[in-house]
Amino acid sequence: MPQLRFTYLLCFAVLAAFLAASAAQAHHGWAWATDEEFEITGVIQSVRLGNPHGEVTIDVDGEEWVVEVGQPWRNDRVGLSKEMLSEGREITVHGHRSAREGERLVKAERVVIDGKDYNLYPGRDS
Amino acid sequence: MIEQALVAVEDLAFVSALRNSTFMYPLVNAGHILGVSMLVGGIVPLDLRLLGLWRTYPVMVFVDVLRITSAIGLGLAVVCGALLFATAALGYARSPLFQAKIALVLLGVSNALILGRVLKRQDIPSLPMKARMPLSLRVGAGLSLVVWISVLILGRLLGYF
Repeated sequence: MPQLRFTYLLCFAVLAAFLAASAAQAHHGWAWATDEEFEITGVIQSVRLGNPHGEVTIDVDGEEWVVEVGQPWRNDRVGLSKEMLSEGREITVHGHRSAREGERLVKAERVVIDGKDYNLYPGRDS
Repeated sequence: MIEQALVAVEDLAFVSALRNSTFMYPLVNAGHILGVSMLVGGIVPLDLRLLGLWRTYPVMVFVDVLRITSAIGLGLAVVCGALLFATAALGYARSPLFQAKIALVLLGVSNALILGRVLKRQDIPSLPMKARMPLSLRVGAGLSLVVWISVLILGRLLGYF
């Protein structure tokens, strides 16, 4: 009988681990976004930098899009500061958009402001 | 009024520093996870013993040890959780998931305090080792399991919605 209980618990643990893994996939990394390279240009509305990652809200022909930029060290590394992302500036984002239909969310690999490249993920094609 | 207070919290110097830190934020995050794991990791075997598993071991061994590790875990989770909350106070406060989670934490803590009193009042240490626990304790233990695991799930969902 104790053996049986242990088996049950083990099954439960494995199931929980799978659920946790699929939930994690939903957001971290790139699995939640489409594989296709995506490019979008808009005007910066607001910005919130910081952990766990920064978010820039941009206006694209009257539609609001959210751009996920990096965590603080990644933004710092390329010099992407709050000042660079000031309201009213035009920004072009290269990255991957959310795979969820209708969701206006992009994870940025590289952004272009005033013709200058800020490559957050130098190791990735953008 | 509340919004202003929450924004003021976000703007505190040490909160800003944490929000923009390289290592402190993930470390506080790890502290929160350690707290939650100690809490849930203690509560689950304790509740299962109260529900009737492992009756060849004295119930008070579970109670005396796991109550303490769970409480320490809760304390750590609350302190680290408060810091994480502060970095985006307004956003968390507005989130229905967060509100539900905090309500469940309060319910879980109240339930645990009540369970502690029932344990004392029913003189559990003097029961025979294999005795079934009184119904009130079993109900409380079942509620505790559901509540704390729900808190963990809600906390995790917060990162994604």
